[in-house]
Amino acid sequence: MSEASSRKLSDDLLRPLLQTSWRFYVLVAFLGSIVLMGLGTWAYQMFNGFGVTGINNPIFWAFYITNFVFWIGISHAGTLISAILRLVNAGWRRPVTRCAEVITAFALMIGALFPIIHLGRPWLFFWLMPYPSSRLIWPNFRSPLVWDFFAITTYLTGSVLFLVLPMIPDFALVRDRTTGLRSRVYGMLALGWQGTPKQWHRLESAMSIMAIAIIPVAVSVHTIVSFDFSMAPVPMWHSTMFGPYFVAGAIFSGIAGLIIAMAALRKFLHIEEYLHPVHFQNLGKLLLMMSLLWGYFVFAERLTVWYGNESAEIQVLRATQKGSFAPLYWTMVVVNFVIPVTILSIRKLRTITGCVIASCGVLVGMWLERFLIVVPSLGHKYLPYSWGTYRPRPVEILITISTFAAMTLLYTLFAKFVPIISIWELKVGEQETHETALQRSGRALGEAHP
Amino acid sequence: MHKWGMAVDLDTCTGCGACVTACHAENNIPTVGPEQAARGRAMHWLRVERYWEGDFPDVRLKFRPVMCQQCDAAPCEPVCPTYASHHTAEGLNAQVYNRCIGTRYCANACPYNVRFFEFFNPQWPKPLHLQLNPDVSVREVGVMEKCTFCVQRINAASIDAKAEKRELKDGDIKPACVQGCSVKAMAFGDLNDPESEVSRLSRSPRGGKLLDDLGTRPKVTYLERQTQV
Amino acid sequence: MSAVYALYPDPDAAQRAVNGLRTAGVAEADITVMSGEPFEEQPFAQRDKATWLWYIACAGGFLGLTFSTWLTRMTELAWPLQTGNMPIVAWWPNLIVIFELTMLGAILATVITLFITAKLPRRTPDFYDREVTNGKILVGVQNPSAANLAALEQALMAGGAAHIKRS
Repeated sequence: MSEASSRKLSDDLLRPLLQTSWRFYVLVAFLGSIVLMGLGTWAYQMFNGFGVTGINNPIFWAFYITNFVFWIGISHAGTLISAILRLVNAGWRRPVTRCAEVITAFALMIGALFPIIHLGRPWLFFWLMPYPSSRLIWPNFRSPLVWDFFAITTYLTGSVLFLVLPMIPDFALVRDRTTGLRSRVYGMLALGWQGTPKQWHRLESAMSIMAIAIIPVAVSVHTIVSFDFSMAPVPMWHSTMFGPYFVAGAIFSGIAGLIIAMAALRKFLHIEEYLHPVHFQNLGKLLLMMSLLWGYFVFAERLTVWYGNESAEIQVLRATQKGSFAPLYWTMVVVNFVIPVTILSIRKLRTITGCVIASCGVLVGMWLERFLIVVPSLGHKYLPYSWGTYRPRPVEILITISTFAAMTLLYTLFAKFVPIISIWELKVGEQETHETALQRSGRALGEAHP
Repeated sequence: MHKWGMAVDLDTCTGCGACVTACHAENNIPTVGPEQAARGRAMHWLRVERYWEGDFPDVRLKFRPVMCQQCDAAPCEPVCPTYASHHTAEGLNAQVYNRCIGTRYCANACPYNVRFFEFFNPQWPKPLHLQLNPDVSVREVGVMEKCTFCVQRINAASIDAKAEKRELKDGDIKPACVQGCSVKAMAFGDLNDPESEVSRLSRSPRGGKLLDDLGTRPKVTYLERQTQV
Repeated sequence: MSAVYALYPDPDAAQRAVNGLRTAGVAEADITVMSGEPFEEQPFAQRDKATWLWYIACAGGFLGLTFSTWLTRMTELAWPLQTGNMPIVAWWPNLIVIFELTMLGAILATVITLFITAKLPRRTPDFYDREVTNGKILVGVQNPSAANLAALEQALMAGGAAHIKRS
């Protein structure tokens, strides 16, 4: 790749780091205030007792667990795009990998907060960690919540490393392009990177190993989250299908989140040259496929329940399809399946805007899906005398909103301090395109060497 | 080794609710107030469930006192991350308040809905605090609680028997509900002793277990009401 | 620490310089190459490709496996508490924790080995030029012997460098 185009690439992608407009500060202040409000609400909840939420007997899990599953689901975007596409060597992934990996890291961090937020005594959350305590007791490894702890820790560690390792050469780039304090900070982050062939080889080997390792971890994480439900004898929770169903739903919501993030970045950072409509179209096709897969799982599960005719399960099925939850349920079906399939199957509609509309619908639909898994089942267990209803209280709504603000804030800050597109990987991609072009034109590459 | 169980004769039970009141008094269970109760947060470790069947004028009322069934294969136990809910050697499902961090997973897993959560710190405005039973801890906000078969009475009787160097006799231990029942519809005792009243009643042809098909192996036998002719 | 090097605008020029240095008698291990992006196709980039990283990752995974098997079993037996009619050492649930810690072991082993073999982290790179990230490829020799200096410089110039640099 010519020096000039290489420099232009670096310039374009470093611009967000080196230039800041007033709009950035306004956005950060706005989002920051919402996040602070969320933290204050959580403090209020801890101080006044968990009763300030809408939780009751029998619906002991509602918004917070919905959010937990939702955010962990969103985190599957990065793994799919980065790891799987990296392993199958799909070239179009290059501008997209870091956007996706960032979503994973931050969504995991936010999702991992919710098991703490929903505790009755959250200051004791560390009892889930295995450490030699003076109480001589260890966590119960039979509990799916303890599996959650290990799974999320492993996935978070793996994803953060998977995100951070390929950032090292880009930090070196920023180190070299800036001066003063900024150069020193990025220099520390670059860990003394030089770019020798040995370092490149080690980095790429490490990335390959991580890509192979992170995929089964990602699958296991959301399976284990689904085990929080399927291991309890609750009607329509105790399903053997929950593992794959949740993983498919996670990838589904993850891709939707990624499309929205990419579209926002493209517009606000002016990187239209690097995120092309074809990237969105490819992701849109993946989203279509996941929508069909999601529809397949929902159909299979509900048909089985309907045929099974088990009295408690039928009550839950009826509550979601015809009863009090029906408006939410049918909204979910429309925005998760009908609209995305329509938009994404028709090529003319599969534009960037079309993909974003479908994705927004999917995010709403997937949040509703988590809610409709948790609450109707808990409200209709085996003894009808104890059936109940749930209404969210301001505390839960505010904390939910603040997590969306937190995600946007973290993402914005990240894009300000780190090139959101992996510059060196893009250059390698340009190399490969260039060389394919040369090969196609029949010219030999360089001289033969002994 | 004892294996504690209970039997409830639904034919004798009048649904008066004395057992519920006795349980509240014995176990320092807070009354949550009308607003919280309307939101579904009443904390009756033992409750009398009522079901109405049929249309007027052929209405039939069924009621059943439901408490923690102390299941031998309790679904609430494996899911607790901190071992706050576990099984004792005497067959009871123990709830250790100090280990509970309030994930409420056990309450979700319980098919009988007999586990309760402290949504707020319970208040006993003076002089109601004088009614508190010193043998039973007062639970703080954020922990789960449930019927313990009045384990404090079991322990007290066991200690007394040991001190007096004798075995526990059937009838030595009466949980508050059994003691408070106005028509003696409830029995408590050692299921490992084939001669005890509760063992006898559990072998009754009228006897059945609640939600038996779920595989929880509950230890409360309900003697079904005879059909009214 | 001194070095003599030059910057080249494209990989072919860099390859010529490397060839020149080799004919001038410099050992392969003494030639330093740096670039702002990996050049897999070039022979000069083929060095140091062989790595034990895969085996180390597997070893890390094995370490995680043994640790987690020991942890789950030991803690379950340390204070045996009966739950839900399950065995005290419950292998099905233990397998889940064992799986997670195995993968964590593999991941951590990979990253630690990467840092060690790539000689990271360091505060600042000891031998470097900022032009590398500007698209230039650096080819040079660290600690050159004074006798050979002229020959080295000639080899570097022959590759097409604008001028020689020293650090």
